[in-house]
Amino acid sequence: MKVRVILRLLLLAAIMTPISIWVGQQAYHWMPEPASEEALLVDNLFSFLTTLGTFIFLGVAGTLLYSVLFQRAAKYDEGDGPPIEGNLTLEIVWTAIPFVLVVWIAGYSYKIYDQMGILGPMEHVHMMGEAIAAPLTAAAPAQPESIEVHARQWVWEFYYPQAGVTSTELHLPNYTRAKLAMTSEDVIHGFYVPAFRVKQDVIPGRQVNFEFTPIREGTYRLRDSEYSGTYFAAMQANVVVESADAYHQWLNQAAAQVPQPGLNPSYVEYQVRVENRDSRPGWKTVTPAPAPLVNFPGSPDLPIPGP
Amino acid sequence: MTETSIIAPYYRQNEPQPGEPENWWRFFTFSTDHKVIGIQYIVTAFVFFLVGGFLAMVMRGELITPEADLVDRTVYNALFTMHGTIMLFMWTFPVLNGLANYLVPLQIGARDMAFPRLNAVAFWMVPVFGLILMASFLVPGGPSQSGWWAYPPVSLQNPTGNLINGQFLWILAVALSGISSIIGAVNIVTTIIRMRAPGMTFFKMPVFCWTVAAAQTIQLFGLPALTAGAVMLLFDLTVGTSFFDPATGGDPVLYQHFFWFYSHPAVYVIILPVFGVFSELFPVYARKPLFGYKFVAVSSFVITGLSAIVWVHHMFASGTPSWMRMLFMATTMTISVPTGVKIFAWVATVWGGKIRLTTPMLFALGGLVNFLFAGITGIMLAAVPFDIHVNNTYFVVGHFHYVIYGAAVMGIYAAIYHWFPKMTGRMYYEGLGKLHFVLTFVGVNLNFFPMHPLGLQGMPRRVASYDPEFAYWNVIASIGAFLLGVSVLPFLLNMISSWILGDKAPANPWRAIGLEWLVASPPPHENFAEIPTVVSEPYGYGKNEPLIAQQMVSTELASELS
Amino acid sequence: MSSVNLDQNLNTAATVHAADHHEEGEHRLVGFIIFLLSESVIFLSFFVGYIVYKTTTADWLPAGVEGLEVREPLINTIVLVSSSFVIYFAERYLKKENLWGFRALWLLTMAMGSFFLYGQAVEWASLSFSFTDGLYGGTFYLLTGFHGLHVLTGVLMMAVMLGRSFIPGNYEDGEVGVIATSLFWHFVDVIWIILFILIYVWQ
Repeated sequence: MKVRVILRLLLLAAIMTPISIWVGQQAYHWMPEPASEEALLVDNLFSFLTTLGTFIFLGVAGTLLYSVLFQRAAKYDEGDGPPIEGNLTLEIVWTAIPFVLVVWIAGYSYKIYDQMGILGPMEHVHMMGEAIAAPLTAAAPAQPESIEVHARQWVWEFYYPQAGVTSTELHLPNYTRAKLAMTSEDVIHGFYVPAFRVKQDVIPGRQVNFEFTPIREGTYRLRDSEYSGTYFAAMQANVVVESADAYHQWLNQAAAQVPQPGLNPSYVEYQVRVENRDSRPGWKTVTPAPAPLVNFPGSPDLPIPGP
Repeated sequence: MTETSIIAPYYRQNEPQPGEPENWWRFFTFSTDHKVIGIQYIVTAFVFFLVGGFLAMVMRGELITPEADLVDRTVYNALFTMHGTIMLFMWTFPVLNGLANYLVPLQIGARDMAFPRLNAVAFWMVPVFGLILMASFLVPGGPSQSGWWAYPPVSLQNPTGNLINGQFLWILAVALSGISSIIGAVNIVTTIIRMRAPGMTFFKMPVFCWTVAAAQTIQLFGLPALTAGAVMLLFDLTVGTSFFDPATGGDPVLYQHFFWFYSHPAVYVIILPVFGVFSELFPVYARKPLFGYKFVAVSSFVITGLSAIVWVHHMFASGTPSWMRMLFMATTMTISVPTGVKIFAWVATVWGGKIRLTTPMLFALGGLVNFLFAGITGIMLAAVPFDIHVNNTYFVVGHFHYVIYGAAVMGIYAAIYHWFPKMTGRMYYEGLGKLHFVLTFVGVNLNFFPMHPLGLQGMPRRVASYDPEFAYWNVIASIGAFLLGVSVLPFLLNMISSWILGDKAPANPWRAIGLEWLVASPPPHENFAEIPTVVSEPYGYGKNEPLIAQQMVSTELASELS
Repeated sequence: MSSVNLDQNLNTAATVHAADHHEEGEHRLVGFIIFLLSESVIFLSFFVGYIVYKTTTADWLPAGVEGLEVREPLINTIVLVSSSFVIYFAERYLKKENLWGFRALWLLTMAMGSFFLYGQAVEWASLSFSFTDGLYGGTFYLLTGFHGLHVLTGVLMMAVMLGRSFIPGNYEDGEVGVIATSLFWHFVDVIWIILFILIYVWQ
């Protein structure tokens, strides 16, 4: 009897395991194409979590479904089921298994986190993160400067101190650890590039340092991830990752350009409202900051999302 | 016999005032009967549920296209702020308080709550702060537009410059809701500690009472923290102090700690009683005792304890140092263990039973499956590196709504159907109930599942407009939302028509075991003619044992007579 | 026969009634203790906030403010803390059914509480910074003000209890209100001691 139960469970596990692994592999495609070192690590973690989660979901929901389909009361059966009140061994086992599982998940997450070497605000450079980035950055030119990121309601502005370039489009050299020094002038904003899988709140009144390593050329979206008021949704910018050569070429070209108003969709939209060209009723809002004068406004076109 | 009839009125002199009218009008009075108050809570909360749902449908209407084209952005922001606030503070909390109010005294064998008048006061505050919140639609500048978290500095920005603005009214309403909830919590906890019938030890108490006690304990230690934060926010907003305003040296992140110290456990305030409902319903409709009753009961308080030390997982992407991230990842992971224990226990309860798929059972099963899914995405969210990607995206919104709608609201529906015969003395229509279930279950999954891929692809929450790449899943989600809107129609039809025209319900239509099923439907004023003496654990299905001593006497008598 | 029966039944009913009344009193006390525990979390939150602010803010004192004078607040503290002992003895008098002793000491407690409030008001009036002067001013007035509100509540509760002591026979059976008020007063005292250490001692 006992042997048969165990055999059945093993058979079930043998069916569920490949399904779970398959779903876990699919999970890689549910997110944008990874474009940073960190993204690869996060995707591994997510795939792992999805595999485990699928297994648990199939196990529990499958059992429930079996009960519901095959253990229904017959039409005129007014009787009760077997009065089983519990099973201490079973209860201990199913307390212990989830515990072991979450310890495993936490341990794995910690390992990934450590490898990512994400900087918390105002923390010193994480040694592990440097080590991971090192083999990639070795080929690249000398350590780049920190790029200043200024957030205000509702526009991103980027400043490259060495070249003296300002921009409303973030350009980053590929395979180089990007270092950002982020500040906010008004409320809390969030720096979030989904393709990089990184996110950090920018808290007014302090400088928040942030690092990651892009590894794929292309154009991505930077989005404000911490709700920041009326035009929050419009506070987006393009992020261009290009080869080191192209990046330096861009910096030089931009430095030569005369400052002009940068991209700022929220202010444009606000103007429409102020000039009463918008018939929809709305409430009074904080006035958006006007477009900053920048060397390089960037392209207003949306990047074509990856597969 | 004559003596008792003489003595009864004397004995009752100092009881909570009986003699309220036994007609529909009593629901509009300052009644101190816990059963009347329970129904008042449930009905009032449901009205606000409809309001909050309407706001949600307007939002989903806006989000069906990428551009911000249906309503102005300020209106959209007010909509999601009010939707969240109404749904939490004026629907889920009050409706669960209503269920607790109605059921706890009946289930523990008491005539009423410990403080009947305070009970009524706590209830009547709900429409008051509800109206205050609604009134904020009428003030210049509109309602609060800072989200239901009201994070400063956004919540401190006051473009109209008026003292009476939407945010001010929001804080006022939330503070009043807090006071009402604390009064309710003190009352319920005292009732459970002090007023159990003779013989009803804690380990003979139904799990619903356990979970209610665990949830209300959270209110007691959590709400004061929110109140402290709200008071400081109010001073910042009105007087110009600098607690949370970085422009004058304040610390906006501290507010987030105050807020989440309460507002994460608040989710357990909502879900714990729903766990209680599941634990009550599965044994009835599977005709089996609750598997591992003591484990399930005690794990509620383990959740209460752990819930106090997980809040920072909402702030993994805020200004949070690494050690804090790792610490709170560990605590958050551990809270899934007692929750998992409950899920396994329910599955084991259902397993091998004689299952009857009535409407309450369908809602409970659907709620359990949704909760299972939400629990799995919840563990994913606890993993810091992954959370950093999906934090503040639609993934979180999806997870949250699977918990709140998929599990909690469906559990609440299950409870309403299950106890509807007890509360009204009428049976509901099974067909309409099943239709309601199908619409709700499909609607929930259609509405909230697409939010997961959206979040994974990087769509932030709270946006009025989005990049066209997100359009596909948003259309599906919006269709699901409208379906959920439709789903309340059969429910309303069922409830109203059944209450008026439904078949008369017997005392125990489900052949359920529990003190509330030993009294008439609806129960008489003060519930029990004679307080029962409890002799058995709850959920004695299939065991053929008496639940109370009085039943023992009658069975003995019966056997003697025969 | 039947009349004797009735009498006995009435007697038991009377005891049941008294027991019920007693029960209800105990419910109230349990409820009140739960409420106090909950209330203490508000203070705890404020304390935590204060400690965080104080340890993380670079310029804690606003320009031109040197810190707080400790001497008068210390006197105030001694008065408030000793009132806890006075109220304890007042309660003991009530237990011994010495109503006038109770009233006298009760009144003395009220006077000590009022003295504390007066001292607090004098101190507030003499300070060179206001509620809106940075985190220092904000937290100082928030903490002392919120606590002062509780002292005021305590004094008002005592006034009510004193008034009710004149209702004949009201306090024969012991009085939950008195126990609760006294508990509340001890609570307010303990909070003040922590507050005093945080604000005045730790400068």
